[in-house]
Amino acid sequence: MLLYNLKIAFKSLKRNPILSTLLIVGIALGICVSTSFVTLRHLYTREPLPGKSDRVFYVRLDSWGDQPFRDGDPTSVPDQVTYRDARGLLRSPVPLRQTPTYITTMFVHPDPKVGRPYQPDVRLVFSDFFDLFAMPFRYGGPWAKSADEKRERVVVIDDATNQKLFGGENSVGKMVRLEDKDYRVAGVLAPWRPPLRLAELVRNAAGPPEPIYIPFNLIETDQIWSSGNNSGWDGKAITSFQDNLNSERVWLQYWIELRDPKDLGAYRDWVTGYIAEQKKLGRFRRPTHFKLSTIPEMIQEFELMPDGVTAMSVVSLLFLAVCSLNLVGILLGKFLARVPEVSVRRALGASRAQIFWQHVIECELIGVIGGAVGIVMSLGILAVLSRFMQNGEALRLDGEMLLLASLLSLVAGALAGLYPAWRVCSVAPAMQLKVQ
Amino acid sequence: MHIGPILRAMKHNRTRVVLIVLEIAMTLAIVTNCVNVIMSERAKMTQTSGFDDDNIVRMRVRPFTPEFRESAFLDTIIDADVRTIEAIPGVKAVANTNFQLWEGGGSSTGVRPPDVQRQAVSTQLYYGTKDLVDALGAKIIAGRAFQDGDHGVGPKIDPADKIIITKALADDLFPGQNPIGKSIVEALDDGPAIGEPRTIVGVMEEFYNPFGIGTGNHQQLATRAMFMPARVGSYARGISYQIRTEPGAMSSVIPEIERRLTAAHAGRVFEFMRTDEKRGRWFSSSKIVVTTMTCIIVALIAVTSLGILGLTALAVSERTKQIGTRRALGATRADIVRHFLLENWLLTTAGLIIGIFGAYALNVLLVSQVTDAKLPWQLVAAGVVLLWINGLIATVPPAFRATLINPAIATKSV
Repeated sequence: MLLYNLKIAFKSLKRNPILSTLLIVGIALGICVSTSFVTLRHLYTREPLPGKSDRVFYVRLDSWGDQPFRDGDPTSVPDQVTYRDARGLLRSPVPLRQTPTYITTMFVHPDPKVGRPYQPDVRLVFSDFFDLFAMPFRYGGPWAKSADEKRERVVVIDDATNQKLFGGENSVGKMVRLEDKDYRVAGVLAPWRPPLRLAELVRNAAGPPEPIYIPFNLIETDQIWSSGNNSGWDGKAITSFQDNLNSERVWLQYWIELRDPKDLGAYRDWVTGYIAEQKKLGRFRRPTHFKLSTIPEMIQEFELMPDGVTAMSVVSLLFLAVCSLNLVGILLGKFLARVPEVSVRRALGASRAQIFWQHVIECELIGVIGGAVGIVMSLGILAVLSRFMQNGEALRLDGEMLLLASLLSLVAGALAGLYPAWRVCSVAPAMQLKVQ
Repeated sequence: MHIGPILRAMKHNRTRVVLIVLEIAMTLAIVTNCVNVIMSERAKMTQTSGFDDDNIVRMRVRPFTPEFRESAFLDTIIDADVRTIEAIPGVKAVANTNFQLWEGGGSSTGVRPPDVQRQAVSTQLYYGTKDLVDALGAKIIAGRAFQDGDHGVGPKIDPADKIIITKALADDLFPGQNPIGKSIVEALDDGPAIGEPRTIVGVMEEFYNPFGIGTGNHQQLATRAMFMPARVGSYARGISYQIRTEPGAMSSVIPEIERRLTAAHAGRVFEFMRTDEKRGRWFSSSKIVVTTMTCIIVALIAVTSLGILGLTALAVSERTKQIGTRRALGATRADIVRHFLLENWLLTTAGLIIGIFGAYALNVLLVSQVTDAKLPWQLVAAGVVLLWINGLIATVPPAFRATLINPAIATKSV
């Protein structure tokens, strides 16, 4: 029956190609605009770490001075942690994975045959970092935990760096020269571009992830300064590297992954205990206060979704509604012109329901074709949008959005067609036939 | 022209009445809000920095040989680089500075007069060499720019006691007074003074740098700044320069700078960032919003016109007999056109009235959450007029077709 109805629907569409094109273009426009902007919004609302978004937390402690971190907001916490606290937090046995991390820049000295020295961003991390953020590897993997302990000079490079330095081959075990020291390649990442720079959401969040990662523990051995934000409250001058490590200045990001969201209570207790211990040393002068935030919570708190994205997606959905609404009139005209033919079918025994479904299917066919055209068009729009966006590379039509676009097409088809279909199936055949 | 027959005709065509009213209402609500967003984004994009954006390029030098770790060497090479760049034809002025335009970055501190214990005023703080004001194309409205002898010794370590501040900062610190010759000192919140007092020697007229977004007082911080005369740079963070060129000379100047500086010292790489491009990137999201909203408006009006056209055409074909009868009873072609025009005008007006409420509701619901731009009534009025005209134009083709109905044929089967 469905096949038969589809066949009739196709015939009906072919009978008036101009009108059919108009209808399809109407739906396609609506789907194209709404899919594009809902996808744009999805970039910021989709689950950043599938399966563990509720187990990964950004840790912030209120180690600030007598004033709150933000003027007039006693509940605010510094956006990063001190080096002393990073070392302190590492003692906690509760998290499954944890890592303090910060960013620096280092000169890479490629083989002179390959290129000039250049100075990319480099991130210092513990080996837990890679699994915590579910980073995909092309060759090798995270360095061993023992490399952290032994302060080995190992490095994980991203795919682009591997292309640049080693022509894309498996470079595990080879050496990369950073500043004046050689690092052994432990792993090469597969291309990876999350919508946001997950490790450091508090600064340049839409930027790309760093291309190079080295062990955090090299910080003291090699005296590696941070190139990121560094803020303090006690006005003490920093004149040496050790000063910075001992200071109350906040400049490190700290991430944990729990085995189970239920462990959150245990971790909270542990941190509360840690702060109490530090208070005895004269630190943490403000009331005990800290914040554990998931990535979605961070996106909300730091307003990482650009202005207008939500507004544009709502407007785009309204636009789709107006498109379907406008098609109601056109479909009504098209169907009512067919009343004499429908009357004959009714007189020959077709039920109202049959006539109704036949017309609904015709509308849904328009919805599906229009939807398909619209999805293809939205690929073009997304390609243009992504060129203007810092994180455009991550903007893509994923399965979830494709499903949503298909559903929207069906809804748009129904919105446009249900009423006209009902009207045409409810005509009285006798009256119509009499006139004929 | 009586309105009676039109109202009676509408009663028989409720679907069409509801559809047209709804379409017009939604279109007005969406279009006015889109235009509103466009206007507020455009207003953002007209923000100027106060500098000669089109002719300034930032050069970032990233050193990789060990001598750059020595501050004495840094001093020497910064001075040498400035002289080398100045000598290149097409260069107007150059300064070594950590000030960056349209990058959203910067540094900040708090300042207050040294003798008054009050809450410090937050301000941006930058270092720059002698020709900084000229290299930015900034305007000094009181006092003077930096000159020889203002400099401190060494990068950032001991900036001298002369400073230039922006007018916005001067107005906050010394309202109604002449700031030239007055002193200020760094301090945080209501804390004690940090470092030595510094004397204001110049006031810069316009200054805007979008720094500290998301910190609450960003709008004020964006216009307040103080500049200290000092070389600035380090091995770790690199050394930056702002270079102002003659109009149109930039593309030829950049490779020449790189060539001459590499020849002077090859232990470093250079990165050039044109201010006009940075500015473009800074406003790229506004540009996206403006472009897409404009496209949505055009598409929406097109689709709505098409919808009205379709519905009116349907009305005409449904009423062939009635129109024929009226024509046979003496109605002129003009009467028929007038009937449809008036009918649609009534529907459009009803739709617009509902749409006005819809427009404000939509504004309150979502747009105000992101742009806090109130919907101005003039905009709604303009939308009303536009859709009125649009509604009438979309009615003309089908109404004209109605006049072609031949009364004799149309009434044959009545």
